[in-house]
Amino acid sequence: MTVIWFALILLCLLMYVVFDGYDLGIGIATLAERDGQRRREMLELVAVAWDGNETWLVLLGVCLWAGFPLAFGTILPHAFLPLIVMLFGLIVRGVAVEMASQRPPAPRWEKAFGIGSLVAALAQGAAASTLAADLRVTGGAYNGSAFGALSCYSVLTALAVAAGYLALGYAYLKWKTAGELRVTAGRRGRGAGLAAVILGAGCLGAVNATAAPLNLGSPVRIAGFAGLMAFAAAGAAMALVTLRPGSPLDALPMWGLAIAAVALFLAVVTARYPVLVPPSLTAAGSVSPSRTMEFLAIGIGLDVPLILFYHWYAHYAFRGKTYGVPHGSHAESTGASDDH
Amino acid sequence: MSLLTLSRWQFAITVIFHMTFPAITVGISILLCVLYGMHWRTGKPVYLQMFRFWRRIFAVGFAIGVVAGIVITFEFGLDWGVFAAKTGPIMGPILGMEVVTAFFVEAGFIGILLYGDGRVRKGTMFAATVMVALGTLLSSTWIIANNSWMQTPSGFTVRNGRFEPTNWLHVIFSPSFLWSWYHMLAAVLLSSGFFVAGIGAWYLVKGRSTPFARRSVSIGLGIAAIVLPLQLFLGDHLAAHVLPAQLPKLEALEGYWSGTGSGGNTGYILFAIPDQQARDNIAQLSIPCLGSAIQKDLTCNSGVPGLDLTPAQDMPLMAPVFWGFRVMFYGALLMFGTVFYATIQRFRRKLWASRRFHQWLVWMTPVGILTILGGWVTAETGRQPWVVYGYLRTSQAVSHLARAELVFSVTGFILIYAAMLAAYIAYIVHTMRTGPERDHPGFRPGPPGPAEPGVSRPVSAGARVPDAVPAALAGGEASA
Repeated sequence: MTVIWFALILLCLLMYVVFDGYDLGIGIATLAERDGQRRREMLELVAVAWDGNETWLVLLGVCLWAGFPLAFGTILPHAFLPLIVMLFGLIVRGVAVEMASQRPPAPRWEKAFGIGSLVAALAQGAAASTLAADLRVTGGAYNGSAFGALSCYSVLTALAVAAGYLALGYAYLKWKTAGELRVTAGRRGRGAGLAAVILGAGCLGAVNATAAPLNLGSPVRIAGFAGLMAFAAAGAAMALVTLRPGSPLDALPMWGLAIAAVALFLAVVTARYPVLVPPSLTAAGSVSPSRTMEFLAIGIGLDVPLILFYHWYAHYAFRGKTYGVPHGSHAESTGASDDH
Repeated sequence: MSLLTLSRWQFAITVIFHMTFPAITVGISILLCVLYGMHWRTGKPVYLQMFRFWRRIFAVGFAIGVVAGIVITFEFGLDWGVFAAKTGPIMGPILGMEVVTAFFVEAGFIGILLYGDGRVRKGTMFAATVMVALGTLLSSTWIIANNSWMQTPSGFTVRNGRFEPTNWLHVIFSPSFLWSWYHMLAAVLLSSGFFVAGIGAWYLVKGRSTPFARRSVSIGLGIAAIVLPLQLFLGDHLAAHVLPAQLPKLEALEGYWSGTGSGGNTGYILFAIPDQQARDNIAQLSIPCLGSAIQKDLTCNSGVPGLDLTPAQDMPLMAPVFWGFRVMFYGALLMFGTVFYATIQRFRRKLWASRRFHQWLVWMTPVGILTILGGWVTAETGRQPWVVYGYLRTSQAVSHLARAELVFSVTGFILIYAAMLAAYIAYIVHTMRTGPERDHPGFRPGPPGPAEPGVSRPVSAGARVPDAVPAALAGGEASA
């Protein structure tokens, strides 16, 4: 049960990273986009999807709380500052995206959307780094200092996550848009992707200098880790190649980066399991009583296919490139003949 | 301020801010569903116009509600880590149910509701409005289940300091759940009813878009007229059947300190400035004998219990409980008077004649929301000093954070939330000024009517279409 629940939490985390990753990335990308029309187009892509994407973060938090209460109650205070900053960023961008799309033109809200996205992405990276810092627990309660969990390593992870999200954002843009925006997305996306690969490799390399070195003590772990890293590398390579504006395979960069992100996370988990946070917090050590787990398995576990369906449908309803434009049809677009 | 006080302030600020938005959006989501359904069935343009206008108000309110809700979820762990670790086996799964049965439904269909107009079939649109309304209702159900468990915990055992469920039905259907749930549902219908009627009345005062305005006022007041009498009954029932489990809350909301033995306390306190240290009211104003009469004793002999009956270590602060309750109660009386008058005027066919009444309705726009906030302040501060009533003290539930962290977070939330609230109010005012004219399916932008930069394109299908689409397509064709 512990393992199944842990897997579900991991699913939430990966869904969140890939999906909110792309919309946070698009947010960051708007900061570099000078053209107001194109910025709006980017914003509209996020407006229809951010709510659903962010719900995975809520599910992640709540599943962690329900299944591993001690982990939730100690990891969050441990990562207090970055998480609070992340919340600030998410609030600002969530409100900004609706404001900007409901009442255009709104350059200030667009700016707030971009900055909020950047802040949230950096903060998530910094929060991830706290999982590699010693978590002090006394009598079932977190007991540490304000900046204790943050270090130089946090800067590295913050930049890596932001670069990764930016690459995802550009990959999504290349998939969902056409024309100049698509070309720019491909070009800038390659830069962001390359930066993400380098920074990600840096994070992996530097993790051995933190309190949570990779544990590759058994052949199974080594094989798993190496295999998954190969997947990650292949995904990243596929994304970097197909991001080229000349490549017509517009869906592949997103898939490549998603595969890379998933494989990388799973590789790290392979090298860390069962420790969640050093020195000793484990999933099994903080798991809820069996009656809770039964309820979770039935109540939430059985709903997972349904929420995946909703999530798929929310994206399916807005399929195709930009708005109202099914694949293959053009010119007449949506009937929204613009007269200026 | 102590860490506990800072954490409590942070939670109070964030949760009150959050609650403001569901107080508007739960009711409006149901309204949207009805309006779109009416449009679909009757084909009358005014329903589509109303749908689109109220959707504008809804869209931003919903977004703020969502992000402010994420904050609450995280705060349980961030600020109340010990509480989270102890109650996780019970609170976690219930919130989890909220996420999977409500949030994903809302999130999956909100995009279609907000931006699907003209893109998807009308049936799909209608289904989306139903799903979103259902989502908001389910969401409030689970939240009330959680809160009710904290108010009247049942169906659990405490093992190694951790709350572990023994009977899930008792956990979810805790003694106060059903009454609180009905009370909350009625409350959100009332608050959105007055909100809708108030904004509609503004157009009546201005003499703009009269068919739209009349229907909005009519629907808003109509809902209130049905729900309000029910709500007075529900509220009274909740107080009579649930509060005895939490006597200190009842004592604090009445505003008396001394116990009943002295033969006093027979009045009903209208106004009081409680002094918690001195255990006395600095000033108070009461109606003689009404307190006794409320207890069905017209001889003026039944006293109201005072807070001194509760041992000091189990006492809530009187001021927020007393005033939260007064805000709720006075708000309810105001709404009742308004609806009563409106119903009489409606039967006399004079509802549209009185400009002064319409002006009054405009002033009443936020009253339902404030009433809900008052009710929550009573419920939550009256439960203190317990977080899980009778089992876990708030002081023992708080995370052991550094003071600087909390000062930073509290300051940040105050600044950001003040800005967001101001922005939302400004947005509503702007949307009102721009008016529902542009939302009418027959609307064509032109000199007459309030023009606004940025809405100069036909709204019928293009409200969400980025201006760049045709150009982008032309370019995309070459490379695709």
